[in-house]
Amino acid sequence: MKPTALVRELEKILGREAVLWRPDDVMLYEYDGLSALHPPDVVVFPRTTVDVVRIVKFAASQKLLVVPRGAGTGLSGGSIPWQGGILIAFARMKDILEIDLENQRARVQPGVVNLDLTLAVSDAGYYYAPDPSSQKACTLGGNVAENAGGPHTLLHGVTTNHVLGLEVVLPSGEVIHTGGKFWDAPGYDLTGLFVGSEGTLGIVTEITVRLMRKAESVATLLAVYDRIIDATRTVAAITARGITPAALEMIDGFTLRAIEEATHAGYPMDSAAVLLIEVEGLKEAVEEDALHIESVCQENRARHVRRARSAEERDLFWKGRKNAFGALGRISPSYYVQDGVIPRTRLPEMLEFIGQIGTKYSVKIGNIFHAGDGNLHPIILFDPRDEDESRRVREAAGEILAKCIDMGGSITGEHGVGIEKINLMPFLFSADDLDMMRKIKGVFNSEGRFNPGKVLPTGKMCGELRASVSPGGVL
Amino acid sequence: MTTAVDSVHSALAEIVGGARVVSEPTACAARAVGGRVPWHIVDAPTAESVAGVLKFASDHDLAVIPHGNGTKLAQGCPPCRYDLALSLKEMNHVRHYEPADLTISVEAGMRLGDLQDFLGREGLWLPLRPRGGANATIGGILATNSAGPLRLRFGSARDIVLGIKVATTEGRLIKSGGRVVKNVAGYDLCKLLVGSYGTLGVIVEASLKLFPRPASRATWVLETGTLDLARDLRRRILNSPLEPLCLVLLNPAASDLLGNGPHSGEAHGVELWVEAGGSPRILERHARDLAEMGRSVGVRSRQVSEQTAERCWSWLINFEQLFAGSFPEVLVLKASLPIASTEQFLSLAQRGAEGEEIRMAGIAQVGVGIVHLGLWGEKLGKVADRVVTNTRKAAESLGGALVVEQYPNGFNAESDVWGPPGDTFEAMRGVKAAWDPKGVLSPGRFVGGI
Repeated sequence: MKPTALVRELEKILGREAVLWRPDDVMLYEYDGLSALHPPDVVVFPRTTVDVVRIVKFAASQKLLVVPRGAGTGLSGGSIPWQGGILIAFARMKDILEIDLENQRARVQPGVVNLDLTLAVSDAGYYYAPDPSSQKACTLGGNVAENAGGPHTLLHGVTTNHVLGLEVVLPSGEVIHTGGKFWDAPGYDLTGLFVGSEGTLGIVTEITVRLMRKAESVATLLAVYDRIIDATRTVAAITARGITPAALEMIDGFTLRAIEEATHAGYPMDSAAVLLIEVEGLKEAVEEDALHIESVCQENRARHVRRARSAEERDLFWKGRKNAFGALGRISPSYYVQDGVIPRTRLPEMLEFIGQIGTKYSVKIGNIFHAGDGNLHPIILFDPRDEDESRRVREAAGEILAKCIDMGGSITGEHGVGIEKINLMPFLFSADDLDMMRKIKGVFNSEGRFNPGKVLPTGKMCGELRASVSPGGVL
Repeated sequence: MTTAVDSVHSALAEIVGGARVVSEPTACAARAVGGRVPWHIVDAPTAESVAGVLKFASDHDLAVIPHGNGTKLAQGCPPCRYDLALSLKEMNHVRHYEPADLTISVEAGMRLGDLQDFLGREGLWLPLRPRGGANATIGGILATNSAGPLRLRFGSARDIVLGIKVATTEGRLIKSGGRVVKNVAGYDLCKLLVGSYGTLGVIVEASLKLFPRPASRATWVLETGTLDLARDLRRRILNSPLEPLCLVLLNPAASDLLGNGPHSGEAHGVELWVEAGGSPRILERHARDLAEMGRSVGVRSRQVSEQTAERCWSWLINFEQLFAGSFPEVLVLKASLPIASTEQFLSLAQRGAEGEEIRMAGIAQVGVGIVHLGLWGEKLGKVADRVVTNTRKAAESLGGALVVEQYPNGFNAESDVWGPPGDTFEAMRGVKAAWDPKGVLSPGRFVGGI
């Protein structure tokens, strides 16, 4: 097989070692955390902003589609080259360009792995706060594109609250610099607009983030319940007491048994639900909050509350939570993760509803939530070879998200719209809302060549997608 | 001409109701912005009426400046034209409140003071101390992304807003975000509208994140005397486990004004004001550690009364009132800096002011990198342009930026308020053109003449 003219042109620009085009090679880039399959025509690996500009200018001259990709851990299909084109993989733009502790800032290339940034500043007592469950693999560029969250964003906010400046390559190849190391750069907050725009407005080539100082003290508590409803009531009661934990996670009994078998985190096998609660801050504040939380848990009929006695035990508690998806993968050929958000006081009602949906569609649903901020991750297990089951999974998922919208919530709290939820956008937003977003897209990406088919639905696309996207798993 | 004014008056009256449109010249003159007087004042009672007014304005090419209580209307360039003053003051209702969820949705015209009183009943608050204080409205706070010194702990308006409803120049009412604390569906238009100074659309309603009010609070003053010592202590505090609510540095002129009023003879030096919140044990810990840190560099830490502290915080956010009466003409500058350069910036700015023989009060949110300067003196009118140019150069040389928040008569505001737009300017112009193609919203007031 011979390379096409397109490939030869790109090889001239970047060198042969920076271009993949053989079907076996590009096949690896046809999916991400969502297993909707479509390969790119070619994959390129820039090392610098200048490389990206040259690729983008070339694409502009040929009217080619361009899709950026970090580690491919996204769960909504944001990096799937749905309509082909050039896939820009950021695996080689992975330098931490500057660590500026005095100013509590770091400047990084988009391919830097989330956890690597924290590790780089950890000895000095700092960390990067947003911590998606995939933080060992996912990149900061991808985090910016999706406005990623994580368990510890309850107290400190999500990606957008930690990004101060961006270098962005626009579809024309023009490079712009938004924000900087300081807050309140004069003008529109384009940094805030670009974060979470899923690569549909421009491609980020450099990111300035805020680093935070590690807290003096941390307490991690595991509260065990015999009834799910008591766990969800505890969540509301903690908030009502005026305590904002750093993290407040809920795992239901079904999910937790799967986790325990896989990771031996020490979760009780016979419980209906556990809450994983972490408070951090000044020693005195942590002691007070931990005592309050213990008593709130007990008032809400926790079977018992365990407090991690060592850093190792804390890591073990978290290991179970962070490896939950993988653990479920051991017991099911595939699964479909939802990302709905509801007002946190509606958790008891919502969990009951999810239980009913599981029965109605005869599907198994595990629940693992960022309970503290009302961000749900129901995980529906299924076998993709079973067409009828796949259909039931889709319908069950649709009903759950419709319920989120009914409750005044959202269809996605941290995974993004991507191609996965694009058809749900008209249920959450009016035609006018979407139209005003389209006007913004038109300013930056008028030809629609950057990450086409993501975020904003078009009339034509809806039908196509309904027919062909199926929920998928990471396995 | 009169007939045109009359017909606009009646058309507006049809949208908002007769008593809500004022076209009387003296009343309009009192609402001048940057020396320009509007033809009509419109009090919109509902979101729909705001949308209606905007559509009418856009269809008839009338320039609109939306405002709440007008506490920050001095910010920005003078408008290049001005027909309608659109007030949202009447829109002051709570639309949705769920204390247990720590969220609230309010209309844009609600006064911050009223909202805080309302929230206080449940022991909650909105942790903002914006310019204008209690009189600032939620819409105005968001439009200017105003925060104040609590930002160190809670972020600015941008971080606290969960969702907004916006009236557009096409007369549409659209939303972005929602009422939940985590939401990544669609573009984050909240970020775009927050801090857009009324140039893209009019925020008519906002959903906000609430916080429990700290059980108790305390404020300490560390009299560092010099900027060098202040920097040393700022470093120690930021690198300590302490989690203050505010950390503010006052230069000698500022501490002097605060301590004794503008005409006192007593000399003050540089001071660091630190506020903490929480239980008595947490406050004790702050007191102990601050005293210890101070002692290590030979600086005394003293706790001030709640009353003094409140006076300081409210003074800091109503900067201009400090000068009212004594100094009719004042230049207020806001610098945004990498946090480690704040003290050096203050020292450069001080030298500049001395060179021009004007006085300078400097207030720095040292943990955040935001510095406000108040400059006054007999020669101010003559030297204001040069002071802005040089102070901006200082901020830029330290990797920051500078904007003018209030200026004296005769200042060349058109060109100098926001500073030079960077390489994002074309994109910003594109955004403006997409949402306000006829340029009727606060025309000429924003960066680069947007």
